[in-house]
Amino acid sequence: MVSKTKRVLALVLTAMISASALAGCGGGSSGGGSTTTSTPTNSTANNTASNSGNQAAELDLDSDSSVDIIKERIKKEAETSGGEIKLEVWCSGDDKKFETTRIKAFKDKYTPDGVKIVVNISAVGEDKVGGKVLEKPEEAADVFNFADDQLTGLAESKAIADLGDMFQNNIKKNNTEESVSVCSVNDVFYAFPRTSDNGYFMYYDKRDLDEADLDDMDTIISKLGAKNKNIYLPLGNAWYNCGFFFAAGCDISYDAKTKQQTATFNTPEGYKAARAMNHLALNLHKGFECDAGSLGDNVFVADGFKNGTLGAAVIGTWAGPDIKKNIGAEYVGAAKLPKVDMDGEKVQLHSFSGYKIVGVNKFTKYPITSKVLAYFLTNKESQLERYKTRGLIPTNKEALEDSDVKADPALKAIQDQKEFSHPQGASVGTSFWSCSPGTIGTKIKDAEGNLPEDKIEEILNSVVAQIESSNKSNAT
Amino acid sequence: MDYLDYVQMTKGQQISYNIKSFFTGIPGAIAGFFQVVANVIKGFFGWIGNGFKGYGQRFSDGDTGTKLSYVIMGAGNMMHKQLGKGLVFLAVEVLYIMYMVNFGMTYVSKIYSDNVTITDSNGVTAVHYGVIGSNTPVYGYDDFGEKTLLNRDNLDTSNNVLLFFVVTLLITIAFFALYIANTKSAYETEQLIKAGKTPMTGIEEIKDYFDERFHVTLLTIPVLGLLAFTVVPIIFTVFIAFTNYTRERIAPGELYWWVGFQNFAEVFNTGSAEQSATFGKILSWTLIWAFFATFSNFILGIILALMINKKEIKFKAFWRTLFIITAAVPQFVTLLLMKMLLGQGTGLNAMMGTTYPFLTDATWAKCTVIIVNIWVGVPFTMLSTSGILMNIPEDLYESARIDGANAVQQFTKITFPYIFFVLTPYLISSFVGNINNFNVIYFLTGGGPESHLYYKSGETDLLVTWLYKLTVSEGDYKLAAVIGIFVFLICAIGSLIAFNMSKASKNEEEFS
Amino acid sequence: MNTTNFQNSPQAGYAAKRKAANTAIYIILAVLGVIWLFPIIWLILTSFDGETGAVTRSLIPTNWSFNNYIKLFVQYETDANGNEVQVAADAMQFPYMQWILNTLFVAVCSCVISTLLVLMVSYTFSRLRFKSRKTFLNMGLILGMFPGFMSMVAVYAIMKVLGLTNSLIGLIIVYSAGAGLGYQVAKGFFDTIPHALDEAAKIDGATRHQIFWQIILPLSKPIIVYTALTTFMGPWGDYIFVSYFMDQNPYGWTVARGLYEMIDNKENINEWFKPFCAGAVIIAIPITTLFLIMQRFYVGGMTGGAVKG
Repeated sequence: MVSKTKRVLALVLTAMISASALAGCGGGSSGGGSTTTSTPTNSTANNTASNSGNQAAELDLDSDSSVDIIKERIKKEAETSGGEIKLEVWCSGDDKKFETTRIKAFKDKYTPDGVKIVVNISAVGEDKVGGKVLEKPEEAADVFNFADDQLTGLAESKAIADLGDMFQNNIKKNNTEESVSVCSVNDVFYAFPRTSDNGYFMYYDKRDLDEADLDDMDTIISKLGAKNKNIYLPLGNAWYNCGFFFAAGCDISYDAKTKQQTATFNTPEGYKAARAMNHLALNLHKGFECDAGSLGDNVFVADGFKNGTLGAAVIGTWAGPDIKKNIGAEYVGAAKLPKVDMDGEKVQLHSFSGYKIVGVNKFTKYPITSKVLAYFLTNKESQLERYKTRGLIPTNKEALEDSDVKADPALKAIQDQKEFSHPQGASVGTSFWSCSPGTIGTKIKDAEGNLPEDKIEEILNSVVAQIESSNKSNAT
Repeated sequence: MDYLDYVQMTKGQQISYNIKSFFTGIPGAIAGFFQVVANVIKGFFGWIGNGFKGYGQRFSDGDTGTKLSYVIMGAGNMMHKQLGKGLVFLAVEVLYIMYMVNFGMTYVSKIYSDNVTITDSNGVTAVHYGVIGSNTPVYGYDDFGEKTLLNRDNLDTSNNVLLFFVVTLLITIAFFALYIANTKSAYETEQLIKAGKTPMTGIEEIKDYFDERFHVTLLTIPVLGLLAFTVVPIIFTVFIAFTNYTRERIAPGELYWWVGFQNFAEVFNTGSAEQSATFGKILSWTLIWAFFATFSNFILGIILALMINKKEIKFKAFWRTLFIITAAVPQFVTLLLMKMLLGQGTGLNAMMGTTYPFLTDATWAKCTVIIVNIWVGVPFTMLSTSGILMNIPEDLYESARIDGANAVQQFTKITFPYIFFVLTPYLISSFVGNINNFNVIYFLTGGGPESHLYYKSGETDLLVTWLYKLTVSEGDYKLAAVIGIFVFLICAIGSLIAFNMSKASKNEEEFS
Repeated sequence: MNTTNFQNSPQAGYAAKRKAANTAIYIILAVLGVIWLFPIIWLILTSFDGETGAVTRSLIPTNWSFNNYIKLFVQYETDANGNEVQVAADAMQFPYMQWILNTLFVAVCSCVISTLLVLMVSYTFSRLRFKSRKTFLNMGLILGMFPGFMSMVAVYAIMKVLGLTNSLIGLIIVYSAGAGLGYQVAKGFFDTIPHALDEAAKIDGATRHQIFWQIILPLSKPIIVYTALTTFMGPWGDYIFVSYFMDQNPYGWTVARGLYEMIDNKENINEWFKPFCAGAVIIAIPITTLFLIMQRFYVGGMTGGAVKG
């Protein structure tokens, strides 16, 4: 095929060249033909060895002495564009206010004399950023906030800038180990961790449930059911129902090198997990609710708490503020997920844990300014500020020691859940979420808990086949 | 057969006639289809052939001016008293050569670059052949130890290379057309002078473009618009179907390359074994959808129009307005509204306290989209059929009434066949329109409910919504391009056959 | 006429039957009317609902208010001191007024350009006879069968080269450059104008150019209005292209994109669902009015085109 196309092309080219010769003026100056120069690529993707001995690597970005060095560097970058630096930042709409104040602080701190820094903030949902950047990488924001499961895709498409030793050292020093670990793909470091909120646990109404009830799902269901209330757990949503499979001992993993996504849901353990979902769904609308409908789970949950259809919900911190607003903060409790019944045995429900992270566009005109801004937006003060405005749990070690943060029930719930959670960034490849691991939950919901065993096995086999071949198209 | 003959047959005769004429029409229609295809191809090559016909002859017959015009465009015209026209031809040649030398050749040569070293996402480098573009990223380290792109402004983007290649291709074709026209013009003016006549002056020529050749003047801008923003993109997209362009190769410097027919095979082998039939499943649902969407709207629209236009019914304008309002609210608004109205936990379900899976169960969702489409589309059909209903010759009804036909018989024997005859082309185009009916599906269900048996699509996805998802949310451009080509083929073959079977296209034949 | 009972005469029975049939039709029309209008009424009622939040449990709002409409134009936020302050006109999350202006600009421009292009093409194919006419017609037919946004990525690449991404000019080009393909309806109309008119003018020495402008166009008011209105309404309803061609800056969006974004994101939907309804009602009013005005032309235009193919 290759040689054939080439021959046809050569023919076309010959025809064109001879035609232009025929037309008179010698048009042959371009050298013609299909010879091309191939640019030698700097193939060192690992950026550790080549810059050892660089003094900047030791720079502490939180120290006062670093400010002047950074200023000087920003000034140098501004010179390429006449003294003005224009940056675009993408953050979720709810963060816009927070980002505005922090970016103002950034400008106050780092703007060198004679340089103007203009930052434009646009609202893009953190779950959509990856897709938007990959739609048009060059035109995407210079600095963007996103959920860690999108990092693999951004890295594979080479749309996100990698970070050198200096930034890495500063990030690693200040943030928790797990939050740092999700920022690299294939041993290349890409992002600035910001919050550890992208996981789920359980919110409940303290008037409906006592702390003693929280340990067992069946107790919760019977207690809430008696009050005509429900616990919400979206079985049809893959992000949540993976927790059942993890609890039963299944796993998912992604090999960035071979781009192979694997899942072990079609094993006896996987079937057990599905049976556990079946068991829960028997109580559908009688203590158990699993479909948020088309409005989005935070709307559904906050509304459910308000009008008394929900007494507990498996959801994350993003729903916290609305729930607190609707029933009053004093009644809102948070706890780790309960134990569920798996073939008669009580098993702790697992979860995904995820982080919100900040990345810098690889094609930004101002890489250093952008990276410093990203660092600034994820430093201790910014994380604490973000906690105050949005209730999102920091990843910064010192920020986690803050008294307000420590007293937050959600933080305790997250930490209790931690040993039963699976970091999603590391285990989820680019195509996992476009597969349908949620199907099993939907089918169980539709069957109201009476999905037969052979159907369970059939669906799980099929879903796993789908997951494992999901990257076939990209693996050329 | 005349329409009146048809009306006078009994219902049974009509049905058997319809069936018979349908099947006897098929061979003719298929033949007609290939005839149209052949005509287009013939027309194209005939056009080229005409250009070259007499190319050599004119050269040997012509005088110095004509001969010179084979090398220097416009020379013939200039030497045959058409200085202005000659200068225009000369300018075209100069501009074309300048374009090719400064711009065009670079991209033509880059369209198939060999020995390009490409680094994949694991940092592994490999040499590739047939790459579109050649300048890949070069990295260095700045004083902070940060890896930086050294040739940020000098990177090739395969998209641009391919785009400029297509543009250059079209410009070259246009140039050759003008080149041939130039030799012809030189020869023709020479003949005119030999015959003792004066060739048109520049002013006369311009005037001619507002009279005899007014079609050229009128068509130039629309055709240029179409070429630039429809034809070039379509050719570009067709080329994409033969590359490995995906989201991983979208960044500047991350080049893609030619892979032959690989993607056409991949369409029938997507994802896991069970998903590999996705194309077939979506295609059959697309056709089922198009059938029901077209005919449900058509029949119900006619019935509604008949009811409103019935003589004794009062307040016609009021009734019509009532239904038109829904058609006038922008479609995405009404559709998003319907999505809310039929969603779980919202709209109807919230008001009634129920949990009907209007949009979340595959079978329900398929029925829902067809029903909602009736809601969206019937007012349009009602509007368009109203006019035709008013035009049905009254004497048809008179004679039927004399024969003692009741209202139902009048409908089945007169009204429906009449409208069906008149509106066949409209039906065909709305069938094609429904195959490509993006809005209803995308805004209502988004293709959902999701299914593990579908590759990156859901149970109600049409080929076009799948194409859109692959483009915008999955970034699988190559596969999307292949699907686009298939949709085109399905629409083109289907509607050309149908057009050939319908009466109206025969009229057009007579007309021209 | 063998029956003597007057009441049971065929005429009387026929009249009664007809009356029954008409009553049935009225009832059916009324029922259908309610079904057809229900979602629209729901939209209007919801837009006046004073309760915040996306969930509506009753059809008729318990708390009537104009707040959803006001929120489209004036938005408030809490400043650092906890006071409610109005968001500056250039920093709104959803600047509805700007969207209306953008859409109006795009719609007017693309309406003018498209109408001209359509008239030029349809007139040419209807009235002028030239050698490659048939080929052009077939090409037009074929081009029209490629799915509209199949080549969206390519069009975007072209716009990028031209530097027209994120600009309303680019959008106008996207909406109107291909207008020439939509010639069928107008061609159908031109076909109905008697050729004798052209012939007579030609005998009087008029050029084709003059015939087009001075004879045919003045006769074509219905089709001009029809074409103009349909092309004018296009940009109000398009979401696909505007979402792909414009970036995240809400001040560059059109109404369709803006309204969609209001409820697309789950973090917005609770706050913005009802303003979305209000925004939809506001644009629906002028569009509905236009539609009602042009109904007459619509009927003529569509059937004219359909009859002739």
